Amino acid sequence: MKEVLFYLFAGLLLLFSILTVSSRKILRAAVFLLFSLVLTAALYFLWDYLFMASVQLMLYAGGIMVLIVFSVLLTHNIDHKFDPMEFKKIIFSALLSLVGAVTVIYVILSHPFKTSALAAAPISPEDIGRGFLSYGENGYILPFEVISILLLAAMIGAIVIAKKTTK
Amino acid sequence: MSTEGLIVFFLVAVTLVGFALVFSSFIPPTSKNLFKAETYECGIETTGITWIQFNVGYYLFAILFLIFDVETVFLYPWATVMKELGIVAFVEILIFLIILGLGLLYAWKKQALKWE
Repeated sequence: MKEVLFYLFAGLLLLFSILTVSSRKILRAAVFLLFSLVLTAALYFLWDYLFMASVQLMLYAGGIMVLIVFSVLLTHNIDHKFDPMEFKKIIFSALLSLVGAVTVIYVILSHPFKTSALAAAPISPEDIGRGFLSYGENGYILPFEVISILLLAAMIGAIVIAKKTTK
Repeated sequence: MSTEGLIVFFLVAVTLVGFALVFSSFIPPTSKNLFKAETYECGIETTGITWIQFNVGYYLFAILFLIFDVETVFLYPWATVMKELGIVAFVEILIFLIILGLGLLYAWKKQALKWE
């Protein structure tokens, strides 16, 4: 059952990824990108990576997509329709991505993976929460608090750049 | 929920909604004329495309939204173990929130939240 769902999601993901790069209108490309991001989250859910899936949905499909659509809407010539790509270019880029895929698959398959007697346990959000908030051994409370300072710096930086002109 | 349950849930949802949509197109009396297809039946006709350029000011709101979105992601693992870790975790997350609250305060002070 899981295999069927995996091939369904993977096939749709491939389809929408190709549509993203081949769409001739920029806003449509953004929407197709949204679909492929959501499908990636579906794959994470399939493998029980709950935290990863929620991050994918909230940050990438929810947050980054808003930024991308906004920046698309900020540009000139939104309605500009790109010319259909030349046949030579399509062949060349398809060949290039095929070579890339073959290289990656070859490297992965030739790597000697060691098998373990332990069953793979999915990492739950509870484990991540415990790791973030405990201060003893295997605790990451200091990096966790530093993240908030990093976010604060990002926010202040964005405001300083965007509000440069007003005194 | 098991995968089979999920598929049954999906099928039932699609069937229910699809049945309602299809069935409701048979029941009511219909009248067809050209004016019904227009965007505004009474009002000014739209010209040009609807994909207009946005004010740049909106972009800042989007960035601020994204930063608080990241914050929410970090609240999620905390919320799952909040009861277990008790008051210590609560204080820790409070520090986290206060530091980020400073950013909101800065945005407020710099009038970045002001509608222009």
